[in-house]
Amino acid sequence: MFEYLYDHYSGALYGVASRIISKESVAEEVLHDAFLRIWERIESYDPGKGRLFTWMLNITRNLAIDKSRSKEISRDRKTGDISNFVHSVDRASPEIQHVDAIGLKEVLDQLPDEQKFVVEYLYLRGYTQSEVAEEFNIPLGTVKTRLRLAMTALRSKLKIT
Amino acid sequence: MNVRDYISSGILEEYALGNLAERERLEVESNLAKYPELRNELDAIEEAVERLLERAAKTPRPELKTKIMSSLAARSKEAIVIPLPGSGVTIWKYATAASVALAITSAALAYMFWNNWKKAETNLTELIAQNQQIAQDYNVVNQRLDKIEGDLGIYDNPSFRKVVMKGTKAAPDAMASVYWNESNNEVYLSIQNLKQLSQEKQYQLWAIVDGQPHDMGVFDGDMKGLVKMKPGAGIAAFAVTIEPKGGKESPTMETMQVLGNT
Repeated sequence: MFEYLYDHYSGALYGVASRIISKESVAEEVLHDAFLRIWERIESYDPGKGRLFTWMLNITRNLAIDKSRSKEISRDRKTGDISNFVHSVDRASPEIQHVDAIGLKEVLDQLPDEQKFVVEYLYLRGYTQSEVAEEFNIPLGTVKTRLRLAMTALRSKLKIT
Repeated sequence: MNVRDYISSGILEEYALGNLAERERLEVESNLAKYPELRNELDAIEEAVERLLERAAKTPRPELKTKIMSSLAARSKEAIVIPLPGSGVTIWKYATAASVALAITSAALAYMFWNNWKKAETNLTELIAQNQQIAQDYNVVNQRLDKIEGDLGIYDNPSFRKVVMKGTKAAPDAMASVYWNESNNEVYLSIQNLKQLSQEKQYQLWAIVDGQPHDMGVFDGDMKGLVKMKPGAGIAAFAVTIEPKGGKESPTMETMQVLGNT
Protein backbone atom coordinates (compact mmCIF):
# COMPACT_ATOMS: atom_id res chain seq x y z
CA MET A 1 0.00 0.00 0.00
CA PHE A 2 2.70 2.49 0.99
CA GLU A 3 4.80 1.34 -1.93
CA TYR A 4 1.91 2.04 -4.23
CA LEU A 5 1.72 5.62 -2.99
CA TYR A 6 5.47 6.02 -3.28
CA ASP A 7 5.73 4.56 -6.77
CA HIS A 8 2.85 6.64 -8.08
CA TYR A 9 3.55 9.99 -6.52
CA SER A 10 7.21 10.25 -5.55
CA GLY A 11 8.24 11.59 -8.98
CA ALA A 12 5.78 14.45 -9.04
CA LEU A 13 6.39 15.28 -5.36
CA TYR A 14 10.17 15.13 -5.71
CA GLY A 15 9.87 17.42 -8.72
CA VAL A 16 8.11 19.94 -6.48
CA ALA A 17 10.60 19.59 -3.59
CA SER A 18 13.65 19.83 -5.83
CA ARG A 19 12.47 23.00 -7.51
CA ILE A 20 11.91 24.70 -4.17
CA ILE A 21 15.20 23.42 -2.79
CA SER A 22 18.05 23.09 -5.25
CA LYS A 23 20.42 21.17 -2.99
CA GLU A 24 19.78 17.51 -3.78
CA SER A 25 20.47 16.09 -0.31
CA VAL A 26 18.06 18.56 1.32
CA ALA A 27 15.37 17.96 -1.30
CA GLU A 28 15.68 14.23 -0.63
CA GLU A 29 15.36 14.87 3.09
CA VAL A 30 12.16 16.81 2.43
CA LEU A 31 10.71 13.96 0.36
CA HIS A 32 11.70 11.50 3.10
CA ASP A 33 9.98 13.54 5.82
CA ALA A 34 7.00 14.20 3.59
CA PHE A 35 6.35 10.50 3.00
CA LEU A 36 6.67 9.72 6.71
CA ARG A 37 4.17 12.46 7.46
CA ILE A 38 1.83 11.32 4.68
CA TRP A 39 1.86 7.82 6.05
CA GLU A 40 1.36 8.97 9.64
CA ARG A 41 -1.60 11.14 8.72
CA ILE A 42 -3.15 9.11 5.97
CA GLU A 43 -6.21 8.47 8.11
CA SER A 44 -6.86 12.19 8.36
CA TYR A 45 -7.03 12.54 4.57
CA ASP A 46 -10.64 13.41 3.67
CA PRO A 47 -11.60 12.66 0.05
CA GLY A 48 -14.51 15.08 0.47
CA LYS A 49 -12.05 17.99 0.66
CA GLY A 50 -9.99 17.23 -2.43
CA ARG A 51 -7.86 14.80 -4.33
CA LEU A 52 -5.29 12.61 -2.63
CA PHE A 53 -2.52 14.11 -4.74
CA THR A 54 -3.41 17.66 -3.66
CA TRP A 55 -3.27 16.62 -0.04
CA MET A 56 0.14 14.97 -0.48
CA LEU A 57 1.35 17.91 -2.55
CA ASN A 58 0.48 20.44 0.14
CA ILE A 59 2.25 18.39 2.82
CA THR A 60 5.37 18.16 0.66
CA ARG A 61 5.28 21.79 -0.39
CA ASN A 62 4.85 23.06 3.15
CA LEU A 63 7.78 20.97 4.39
CA ALA A 64 9.94 22.20 1.52
CA ILE A 65 9.02 25.82 2.14
CA ASP A 66 9.67 25.47 5.89
CA LYS A 67 13.02 23.94 5.09
CA SER A 68 13.92 26.65 2.61
CA ARG A 69 13.23 29.27 5.27
CA SER A 70 15.28 27.55 7.94
CA LYS A 71 18.83 28.68 8.54
CA GLU A 72 20.61 25.84 6.80
CA ILE A 73 19.28 26.88 3.43
CA SER A 74 19.78 30.43 2.33
CA ARG A 75 16.66 31.06 0.30
CA ASP A 76 18.36 29.75 -2.80
CA ARG A 77 15.02 29.23 -4.41
CA LYS A 78 14.96 32.93 -5.01
CA THR A 79 18.06 32.83 -7.16
CA GLY A 80 18.45 31.38 -10.61
CA ASP A 81 16.70 32.34 -13.79
CA ILE A 82 13.17 31.02 -13.74
CA SER A 83 13.05 30.60 -17.49
CA ASN A 84 15.77 27.97 -17.26
CA PHE A 85 14.18 25.67 -14.79
CA VAL A 86 12.70 23.32 -17.37
CA HIS A 87 16.12 22.93 -18.91
CA SER A 88 17.77 22.44 -15.56
CA VAL A 89 15.42 19.50 -15.02
CA ASP A 90 16.47 18.13 -18.38
CA ARG A 91 20.14 18.47 -17.56
CA ALA A 92 19.97 16.72 -14.19
CA SER A 93 21.34 13.19 -13.89
CA PRO A 94 21.37 11.89 -17.46
CA GLU A 95 20.62 8.27 -16.52
CA ILE A 96 17.12 9.29 -15.49
CA GLN A 97 14.61 9.89 -18.24
CA HIS A 98 12.88 13.24 -17.97
CA VAL A 99 10.51 12.75 -20.84
CA ASP A 100 7.77 14.37 -18.79
CA ALA A 101 9.65 17.62 -18.38
CA ILE A 102 9.56 18.05 -22.13
CA GLY A 103 5.76 17.67 -22.10
CA LEU A 104 5.71 20.33 -19.37
CA LYS A 105 7.53 22.86 -21.49
CA GLU A 106 5.20 22.23 -24.41
CA VAL A 107 2.15 22.84 -22.26
CA LEU A 108 3.51 25.94 -20.53
CA ASP A 109 4.79 27.52 -23.72
CA GLN A 110 1.24 27.70 -25.00
CA LEU A 111 0.31 30.14 -22.22
CA PRO A 112 0.83 33.90 -22.49
CA ASP A 113 4.04 34.93 -20.69
CA GLU A 114 2.34 36.59 -17.71
CA GLN A 115 0.19 33.49 -17.05
CA LYS A 116 3.13 31.13 -17.51
CA PHE A 117 5.03 33.22 -14.95
CA VAL A 118 2.28 32.86 -12.34
CA VAL A 119 1.98 29.09 -12.89
CA GLU A 120 5.73 28.61 -12.62
CA TYR A 121 6.06 30.56 -9.41
CA LEU A 122 2.95 29.23 -7.68
CA TYR A 123 2.98 25.58 -8.71
CA LEU A 124 6.56 24.85 -9.59
CA ARG A 125 8.51 27.16 -7.28
CA GLY A 126 6.21 26.98 -4.28
CA TYR A 127 5.58 30.73 -3.89
CA THR A 128 2.41 31.95 -2.27
CA GLN A 129 0.28 34.45 -4.14
CA SER A 130 1.22 37.25 -1.74
CA GLU A 131 4.91 36.45 -2.15
CA VAL A 132 4.63 36.76 -5.92
CA ALA A 133 2.67 39.99 -5.54
CA GLU A 134 5.20 41.56 -3.15
CA GLU A 135 8.35 40.39 -4.78
CA PHE A 136 7.45 41.32 -8.34
CA ASN A 137 5.22 44.33 -7.61
CA ILE A 138 2.10 42.83 -9.15
CA PRO A 139 -1.22 43.69 -7.45
CA LEU A 140 -2.54 40.63 -5.56
CA GLY A 141 -5.84 40.77 -7.49
CA THR A 142 -3.93 40.59 -10.76
CA VAL A 143 -2.02 37.53 -9.57
CA LYS A 144 -5.33 35.86 -8.72
CA THR A 145 -6.93 36.74 -12.05
CA ARG A 146 -3.92 35.50 -13.99
CA LEU A 147 -3.93 32.25 -12.05
CA ARG A 148 -7.59 31.70 -12.81
CA LEU A 149 -7.04 32.42 -16.54
CA ALA A 150 -3.96 30.22 -16.63
CA MET A 151 -5.76 27.31 -14.99
CA THR A 152 -8.70 27.61 -17.39
CA ALA A 153 -6.28 27.55 -20.33
CA LEU A 154 -4.26 24.67 -18.85
CA ARG A 155 -7.38 22.61 -18.35
CA SER A 156 -8.28 22.93 -21.99
CA LYS A 157 -4.69 22.13 -23.08
CA LEU A 158 -4.70 19.11 -20.79
CA LYS A 159 -8.21 18.18 -21.93
CA ILE A 160 -9.75 18.31 -18.47
CA THR A 161 -13.35 19.47 -18.33
CA MET B 1 -24.63 32.66 -3.60
CA ASN B 2 -23.90 32.89 -7.33
CA VAL B 3 -21.88 29.78 -8.07
CA ARG B 4 -20.49 31.13 -11.39
CA ASP B 5 -19.18 34.31 -9.74
CA TYR B 6 -17.77 32.30 -6.88
CA ILE B 7 -15.86 30.05 -9.28
CA SER B 8 -14.55 32.91 -11.38
CA SER B 9 -13.26 34.70 -8.29
CA GLY B 10 -10.44 32.11 -8.35
CA ILE B 11 -10.95 31.13 -4.72
CA LEU B 12 -10.99 27.40 -5.57
CA GLU B 13 -7.52 27.65 -7.12
CA GLU B 14 -6.32 29.30 -3.90
CA TYR B 15 -8.01 26.61 -1.84
CA ALA B 16 -6.27 23.88 -3.84
CA LEU B 17 -2.95 25.64 -3.32
CA GLY B 18 -3.53 25.46 0.43
CA ASN B 19 -2.97 29.20 0.72
CA LEU B 20 -6.23 30.22 2.39
CA ALA B 21 -6.52 31.36 5.98
CA GLU B 22 -8.41 29.04 8.33
CA ARG B 23 -11.68 30.99 8.22
CA GLU B 24 -11.78 31.21 4.42
CA ARG B 25 -10.80 27.58 4.12
CA LEU B 26 -13.70 26.43 6.30
CA GLU B 27 -16.04 28.64 4.31
CA VAL B 28 -14.91 27.04 1.04
CA GLU B 29 -15.32 23.58 2.55
CA SER B 30 -18.88 24.29 3.66
CA ASN B 31 -19.69 25.65 0.17
CA LEU B 32 -18.14 22.58 -1.43
CA ALA B 33 -20.47 20.39 0.56
CA LYS B 34 -23.47 22.50 -0.50
CA TYR B 35 -22.83 22.94 -4.23
CA PRO B 36 -21.86 19.90 -6.33
CA GLU B 37 -20.87 22.26 -9.15
CA LEU B 38 -18.08 23.67 -6.97
CA ARG B 39 -16.95 20.15 -6.14
CA ASN B 40 -16.62 19.33 -9.87
CA GLU B 41 -14.80 22.55 -10.59
CA LEU B 42 -12.35 21.96 -7.75
CA ASP B 43 -11.76 18.44 -8.95
CA ALA B 44 -10.95 19.69 -12.45
CA ILE B 45 -8.55 22.30 -11.06
CA GLU B 46 -6.80 19.74 -8.90
CA GLU B 47 -6.59 17.29 -11.77
CA ALA B 48 -4.98 19.97 -13.95
CA VAL B 49 -2.39 20.68 -11.25
CA GLU B 50 -1.75 16.96 -10.85
CA ARG B 51 -1.28 16.45 -14.61
CA LEU B 52 0.96 19.51 -14.77
CA LEU B 53 3.15 18.35 -11.92
CA GLU B 54 3.32 14.83 -13.32
CA ARG B 55 4.88 16.40 -16.37
CA ALA B 56 7.33 18.22 -14.10
CA ALA B 57 8.18 15.00 -12.25
CA LYS B 58 11.74 14.14 -11.31
CA THR B 59 12.56 10.58 -10.35
CA PRO B 60 14.33 10.44 -6.98
CA ARG B 61 17.40 8.21 -6.66
CA PRO B 62 16.30 4.60 -5.98
CA GLU B 63 18.29 4.61 -2.71
CA LEU B 64 15.84 7.13 -1.32
CA LYS B 65 12.95 4.70 -1.57
CA THR B 66 14.88 2.08 0.43
CA LYS B 67 15.73 4.70 3.04
CA ILE B 68 12.13 5.87 3.41
CA MET B 69 10.84 2.31 3.60
CA SER B 70 13.26 1.45 6.38
CA SER B 71 12.43 4.65 8.32
CA LEU B 72 8.79 3.67 8.07
CA ALA B 73 9.46 0.14 9.25
CA ALA B 74 11.49 1.48 12.20
CA ARG B 75 8.73 3.89 13.09
CA SER B 76 5.97 1.31 13.08
CA LYS B 77 8.09 -0.90 15.35
CA GLU B 78 8.36 2.01 17.78
CA ALA B 79 4.62 2.34 17.74
CA ILE B 80 3.96 -1.28 18.49
CA VAL B 81 6.83 -2.49 20.67
CA ILE B 82 7.15 -0.27 23.71
CA PRO B 83 9.61 -1.69 26.21
CA LEU B 84 8.14 -1.29 29.66
CA PRO B 85 9.54 -2.01 33.07
CA GLY B 86 7.28 -4.04 35.33
CA SER B 87 4.90 -1.69 37.05
CA GLY B 88 1.23 -1.25 37.84
CA VAL B 89 0.51 0.74 34.71
CA THR B 90 2.26 -1.73 32.36
CA ILE B 91 -0.92 -3.42 31.33
CA TRP B 92 -2.47 -0.08 30.38
CA LYS B 93 0.57 0.92 28.41
CA TYR B 94 0.47 -2.33 26.52
CA ALA B 95 -3.23 -1.91 25.97
CA THR B 96 -2.68 1.61 24.67
CA ALA B 97 0.13 0.47 22.39
CA ALA B 98 -2.03 -2.35 21.11
CA SER B 99 -4.98 -0.07 20.44
CA VAL B 100 -2.77 2.47 18.68
CA ALA B 101 -1.39 -0.33 16.50
CA LEU B 102 -4.92 -1.51 15.84
CA ALA B 103 -6.06 1.99 14.96
CA ILE B 104 -3.16 2.43 12.53
CA THR B 105 -3.81 -0.94 10.93
CA SER B 106 -7.51 -0.36 10.55
CA ALA B 107 -6.97 3.10 9.13
CA ALA B 108 -4.56 1.62 6.59
CA LEU B 109 -7.02 -1.14 5.77
CA ALA B 110 -9.89 1.32 5.47
CA TYR B 111 -7.85 3.41 3.10
CA MET B 112 -6.85 0.35 1.11
CA PHE B 113 -10.46 -0.78 0.78
CA TRP B 114 -11.56 2.70 -0.16
CA ASN B 115 -8.85 2.78 -2.81
CA ASN B 116 -9.82 -0.62 -4.19
CA TRP B 117 -13.42 0.42 -4.24
CA LYS B 118 -12.53 3.54 -6.22
CA LYS B 119 -10.58 1.41 -8.66
CA ALA B 120 -13.43 -1.06 -9.03
CA GLU B 121 -15.83 1.82 -9.60
CA THR B 122 -13.61 3.28 -12.32
CA ASN B 123 -13.29 -0.13 -13.97
CA LEU B 124 -17.04 -0.57 -13.86
CA THR B 125 -17.65 2.82 -15.49
CA GLU B 126 -15.18 1.95 -18.22
CA LEU B 127 -16.79 -1.42 -18.80
CA ILE B 128 -20.26 0.10 -19.02
CA ALA B 129 -18.99 2.62 -21.55
CA GLN B 130 -17.30 -0.14 -23.56
CA ASN B 131 -20.46 -2.19 -23.43
CA GLN B 132 -22.53 0.68 -24.79
CA GLN B 133 -20.00 1.20 -27.57
CA ILE B 134 -20.14 -2.48 -28.53
CA ALA B 135 -23.95 -2.43 -28.51
CA GLN B 136 -23.90 0.63 -30.79
CA ASP B 137 -21.39 -0.96 -33.15
CA TYR B 138 -23.48 -4.10 -33.20
CA ASN B 139 -26.57 -2.10 -34.18
CA VAL B 140 -24.72 -0.36 -36.98
CA VAL B 141 -23.41 -3.68 -38.30
CA ASN B 142 -26.83 -5.24 -37.98
CA GLN B 143 -28.47 -2.44 -39.95
CA ARG B 144 -25.86 -2.78 -42.68
CA LEU B 145 -26.39 -6.51 -42.79
CA ASP B 146 -30.18 -6.04 -43.12
CA LYS B 147 -29.59 -3.61 -45.94
CA ILE B 148 -27.19 -5.98 -47.75
CA GLU B 149 -29.62 -8.88 -47.34
CA GLY B 150 -32.41 -6.73 -48.78
CA ASP B 151 -30.20 -5.69 -51.70
CA LEU B 152 -29.22 -9.32 -52.37
CA GLY B 153 -32.91 -10.26 -52.63
CA ILE B 154 -33.28 -7.74 -55.45
CA TYR B 155 -30.08 -8.75 -57.29
CA ASP B 156 -31.23 -12.39 -57.16
CA ASN B 157 -34.84 -11.71 -58.11
CA PRO B 158 -35.41 -12.67 -61.80
CA SER B 159 -38.34 -10.20 -62.04
CA PHE B 160 -35.79 -7.36 -61.88
CA ARG B 161 -34.05 -6.31 -65.05
CA LYS B 162 -30.65 -4.73 -64.76
CA VAL B 163 -30.23 -1.66 -66.95
CA VAL B 164 -26.64 -0.44 -67.14
CA MET B 165 -26.26 3.31 -67.69
CA LYS B 166 -22.94 4.20 -69.34
CA GLY B 167 -21.03 7.47 -69.12
CA THR B 168 -21.84 10.24 -71.61
CA LYS B 169 -19.26 12.45 -73.34
CA ALA B 170 -19.51 14.86 -70.42
CA ALA B 171 -18.46 12.06 -68.01
CA PRO B 172 -16.94 9.09 -69.90
CA ASP B 173 -15.91 7.22 -66.71
CA ALA B 174 -19.27 7.52 -64.98
CA MET B 175 -21.43 4.45 -64.53
CA ALA B 176 -24.62 3.53 -62.68
CA SER B 177 -27.27 0.80 -62.94
CA VAL B 178 -31.00 0.52 -62.47
CA TYR B 179 -32.87 -2.58 -61.33
CA TRP B 180 -36.35 -2.35 -62.74
CA ASN B 181 -39.24 -4.71 -62.02
CA GLU B 182 -41.66 -4.48 -64.94
CA SER B 183 -44.40 -6.41 -63.17
CA ASN B 184 -44.72 -4.14 -60.10
CA ASN B 185 -42.88 -1.05 -61.50
CA GLU B 186 -40.30 -0.92 -58.67
CA VAL B 187 -37.04 0.87 -59.49
CA TYR B 188 -33.75 0.61 -57.59
CA LEU B 189 -30.57 2.51 -58.36
CA SER B 190 -27.00 1.37 -57.81
CA ILE B 191 -23.98 3.65 -58.25
CA GLN B 192 -20.80 2.24 -59.72
CA ASN B 193 -18.91 5.45 -60.36
CA LEU B 194 -20.24 8.99 -60.03
CA LYS B 195 -18.12 11.97 -59.04
CA GLN B 196 -18.56 13.85 -55.73
CA LEU B 197 -20.87 16.86 -55.99
CA SER B 198 -20.77 20.15 -54.08
CA GLN B 199 -23.26 20.74 -51.23
CA GLU B 200 -25.70 22.63 -53.46
CA LYS B 201 -25.99 19.90 -56.14
CA GLN B 202 -27.63 16.50 -56.33
CA TYR B 203 -28.02 13.78 -58.92
CA GLN B 204 -31.47 13.23 -60.46
CA LEU B 205 -32.68 10.04 -62.15
CA TRP B 206 -34.94 10.32 -65.18
CA ALA B 207 -37.05 7.70 -66.97
CA ILE B 208 -37.78 8.27 -70.66
CA VAL B 209 -41.39 7.23 -71.37
CA ASP B 210 -42.90 7.92 -74.82
CA GLY B 211 -39.98 10.23 -75.57
CA GLN B 212 -40.67 12.37 -72.47
CA PRO B 213 -38.40 12.54 -69.37
CA HIS B 214 -40.11 11.68 -66.05
CA ASP B 215 -38.60 12.56 -62.68
CA MET B 216 -37.63 9.41 -60.75
CA GLY B 217 -36.16 11.17 -57.70
CA VAL B 218 -32.87 12.72 -56.52
CA PHE B 219 -29.90 11.09 -54.75
CA ASP B 220 -26.44 11.88 -53.44
CA GLY B 221 -23.31 10.54 -55.11
CA ASP B 222 -22.04 8.75 -51.99
CA MET B 223 -24.98 6.35 -51.53
CA LYS B 224 -24.00 2.73 -50.91
CA GLY B 225 -25.91 -0.34 -52.14
CA LEU B 226 -29.36 -0.07 -53.70
CA VAL B 227 -31.44 3.09 -53.44
CA LYS B 228 -35.18 2.87 -53.93
CA MET B 229 -36.42 5.38 -56.53
CA LYS B 230 -39.92 6.30 -57.75
CA PRO B 231 -41.85 3.52 -59.56
CA GLY B 232 -42.23 3.64 -63.33
CA ALA B 233 -43.83 1.71 -66.26
CA GLY B 234 -43.19 1.60 -69.99
CA ILE B 235 -39.70 2.98 -69.63
CA ALA B 236 -37.51 3.09 -72.74
CA ALA B 237 -34.38 4.51 -71.13
CA PHE B 238 -32.89 5.76 -67.83
CA ALA B 239 -30.59 8.77 -67.45
CA VAL B 240 -28.92 10.72 -64.63
CA THR B 241 -28.29 14.49 -64.63
CA ILE B 242 -26.74 16.92 -62.14
CA GLU B 243 -29.31 19.38 -60.79
CA PRO B 244 -29.60 21.92 -57.96
CA LYS B 245 -30.30 20.25 -54.60
CA GLY B 246 -33.86 18.90 -54.56
CA GLY B 247 -33.99 18.38 -58.32
CA LYS B 248 -35.87 20.10 -61.17
CA GLU B 249 -39.03 19.44 -63.14
CA SER B 250 -37.21 18.89 -66.39
CA PRO B 251 -33.64 17.67 -66.89
CA THR B 252 -30.66 19.90 -67.69
CA MET B 253 -29.42 17.99 -70.70
CA GLU B 254 -25.89 19.48 -70.61
CA THR B 255 -25.25 17.82 -67.27
CA MET B 256 -26.30 14.31 -68.26
CA GLN B 257 -23.80 11.88 -66.74
CA VAL B 258 -25.02 8.41 -67.68
CA LEU B 259 -27.65 6.96 -70.04
CA GLY B 260 -28.93 3.42 -70.65
CA ASN B 261 -31.67 1.94 -72.86
CA THR B 262 -33.88 -0.74 -71.39
